Amino acid sequence: MVVIGAGLAGLTAGIRLAQEGLDVAMFATGHGALPLAPAVVDVLGYVPHRVQNPWVELPAFVAKRSQHPYARLSMGALAASVDWFKDIAAPLGYAGSLERNQLLPTALGGLRPTVLVPETMVAGELSGGGDVLIVGISGYRDFYPSLVAQNLSASSPAADCRITARAVEVALAGDPRDLRPQLLSRRLEEPQVRADLARSIRAELRAETAVGLPAVLGLERSHEVWSDLEQWIGRPVFEIPTIPPSLPGQRLQALLIQVFRRFGGRLQIGNAVVAGHGGDGHLESVTVAQASREVSVSAGHFVLATGGVGTAGIVVDRAGTPREAVLGLPVSFGGLSGEVGREYFGTHPLDRMGVAVDARLRPTGGESGHLFANLHAAGATLAGAEPWKEKSGDGISLATGFAAAAAILEDRA
Amino acid sequence: MARSQIETDVLVIGGGSTGAGVAWDAALRGLHVTLVDRGDLATGTTGRFHGLLHSGGRYVVKDPSSARECASENLILRRVAADCIEDTGGMFVTTPIDDPGYADRFVAGCGAADIPVEEIAVGAALGREPRLNPRISRAFLVPDASIDAWKTVWACVRGATARGAHVLPYHTVVSLTMKADAVTGACLLDARTGDEVMVEARCTVNAAGAWSRKVAELAGCEVGVVPGKGIMVAMNHRVVNTVVNRCNMPGDGDIIVPIRTVSVIGTTDVPVSDPDNIDPTREEIAEMMEAGEALVPGFSHGRALRVWAGARPLFPKSASGQVSDTRDVTRSHSVLDHEALDGVGNFLTITGGKFTTFRLMAKDAVDLAGRKLAHPKECTTASEPLPDSESRRYYWIGARQEEMEHDAPDDPLICECELVSRTDLQAAMARRPNWQLDDLRRALRIGMGPCQGGFCAFRVAATLHQDGQYDRLAANHALRAFVEERWKGVKLISWGDQLRQTRLDEWIFQGVLDLEHLPE
Repeated sequence: MVVIGAGLAGLTAGIRLAQEGLDVAMFATGHGALPLAPAVVDVLGYVPHRVQNPWVELPAFVAKRSQHPYARLSMGALAASVDWFKDIAAPLGYAGSLERNQLLPTALGGLRPTVLVPETMVAGELSGGGDVLIVGISGYRDFYPSLVAQNLSASSPAADCRITARAVEVALAGDPRDLRPQLLSRRLEEPQVRADLARSIRAELRAETAVGLPAVLGLERSHEVWSDLEQWIGRPVFEIPTIPPSLPGQRLQALLIQVFRRFGGRLQIGNAVVAGHGGDGHLESVTVAQASREVSVSAGHFVLATGGVGTAGIVVDRAGTPREAVLGLPVSFGGLSGEVGREYFGTHPLDRMGVAVDARLRPTGGESGHLFANLHAAGATLAGAEPWKEKSGDGISLATGFAAAAAILEDRA
Repeated sequence: MARSQIETDVLVIGGGSTGAGVAWDAALRGLHVTLVDRGDLATGTTGRFHGLLHSGGRYVVKDPSSARECASENLILRRVAADCIEDTGGMFVTTPIDDPGYADRFVAGCGAADIPVEEIAVGAALGREPRLNPRISRAFLVPDASIDAWKTVWACVRGATARGAHVLPYHTVVSLTMKADAVTGACLLDARTGDEVMVEARCTVNAAGAWSRKVAELAGCEVGVVPGKGIMVAMNHRVVNTVVNRCNMPGDGDIIVPIRTVSVIGTTDVPVSDPDNIDPTREEIAEMMEAGEALVPGFSHGRALRVWAGARPLFPKSASGQVSDTRDVTRSHSVLDHEALDGVGNFLTITGGKFTTFRLMAKDAVDLAGRKLAHPKECTTASEPLPDSESRRYYWIGARQEEMEHDAPDDPLICECELVSRTDLQAAMARRPNWQLDDLRRALRIGMGPCQGGFCAFRVAATLHQDGQYDRLAANHALRAFVEERWKGVKLISWGDQLRQTRLDEWIFQGVLDLEHLPE
């Protein structure tokens, strides 16, 4: 098996296949979007009204969008992928259900609807209201507690629920200059530093029932950092993800890579797949660019999970012509003429640009069927979604990565 | 709605380079000045031009008198506005698509206009600018430079305010008050508060540039200014460190200017009827990318950061009527004495011209105003340095870094692309009355570097909220307005690496911050 791309979709497909004892080689140009992302799994947030129960809203949503990636999956497959993810990502304590969007605070103090949430963020679930203390750390300039608290206090999760939020700023012991997130996160992994932080926060606490902090609670030892803080502060503690670099995103990526390798998967980051070779509807091999040479890698099955325009899986030239960057597959919904959204918060038809697939997630050539019987595609590479409008990107990556692996396993059975 | 009154000697309408220059010059001569603009200062043509301090080389064949003007003003501005200028130097190069015969005419023209010109070997030119088209046949050095429009305007304004001037951005001129065939002042509306300001002025100067026709009409005068639209595209780094020009008759897209952390290619020249309706088109953008290739092969493969358009105030000295190619219109400026032209006293318009000659334009306007006011003081702007330019040191691109390393290594950086610290932000807020987030962008260059605000816009809005400058709704609104405004400059150039950058920004603004869904 060859998986091209090591983002959420690629790692999902790769782990699922490696779990079944298959030999999987994964190649990626870079680290992809996971280290930038809040590391929650959004399945369906807005349609355009805010979705409370994705399970109930999805069928109607998909019925109106036959080209959407969710339209290529059964609801059962989506549910299976969510359960699978909770199991695989258990060390990070992911929790949630497809039948209920949790409402988590953003770094501006809005509320984001999302399905799966890691343990370090679960206590920030505010759809039932809450009374929270939002804590900023002096010298850390990517988190502003007062704006978060004020916007949260003005948010209405539901008709009869209120959120009361208050902001404080505390300083870490020592010299809080210009604290970068990775540095801050490492310092919190020292028990004394987090003990001091907990003490400072305790001193500020009044009647609040939970404490929100920026998402800097450790990188490799986030469980200890978070649970120690909870214990010493004496309240549930939750992280609030902010602008990149994202510590929760890096944790999730590190975990998924670790799991993939534990099942025997082989991953090479920094080695881009530059071409594919095949004929008669069968992909034979791909060419991988290594340090000083190109290597041909043959496999029985291939999964293309290179992401969309953000990770250069789809590139658009100056004339507006889109191209699927690795295999040169046809791109749907492309073309710049007249398709650019006029307003920033309006619709952007170009967002749907990507590779169209059949019901088995195999790239199609427009009207004809699949191009290669043994090539599947997953994630942001796929056409038909408007992930920002819908808040659906992670769910698409997870579900289609899982389904692509399932299709391959079926083929082999 | 409150109403206030101001009595002033000179009312200047238009806060671009000309208006600011007039305010500075008049204040130096001891006149009381009131400067108004309907928006923030330098948001008209001045805020949208190429950033080029002309050596004059561009005009030596086509418009020699304009070339001489530029040459002498170039020297003067280097003396009095050094802090606003990066001494990049300039080069004129003959590319394979240029008229090879033009170069000799160019050299002769420079000689006639007293513009220092030095021919250098092609090898030397390529050594200095490795990305230049290797197939150029000739190369010449001239004293072009890049100049920061906002720094210049704000320096003039600071100098004027220090001498008692009133500066009123975001004030619209609703009407000009007239008495016995003379303009006696204006009625202004504060666009932010709805308050009215009545200005009584002994002389009124219309420095509204591309909008001066509309202002003149308020006094029943006609000013046949023709807005000439020109587009610019900023690329994400300095592909050249020298201003590079095609050695040919002036045309479109034939100059690349390195300005701060980016390079800008321009421009086009299309007459338009409304200076507020000047959106760039895809065709024009494609034209600029192609034009860049002639000077710097591979130019169009770089990341285009932003595209915008400005409206030049072209004033045809000949008869009025239709103007087809505005590039044929002379570049020199015009001072219109409306007493002589229209029988309207105490009112004059200064129009035409270019940024490089703004000081001279201001001098001519204030000379006339001085005569009308029987105030016979001489102009001193050719020798009096602008605030911050007293040391006569040019700006250099490492200046900010040097400053920070020396003074404030621990001051948290709000904008990493342009090295703007938290203290800078607070100082800017303290200096400027009634600012908006976009005003700070212009003052501090937040969001003008390679990330175009992707990271810093959040920090700025949230810092201002934290410091009590914005309430919750204002902070939410400011951030939304920032990304909406920025989208206008980016949507037509969403290809290649800029499309990737756009997607990264969406991850941030829509994915992490979910800016669209904030509580009201």
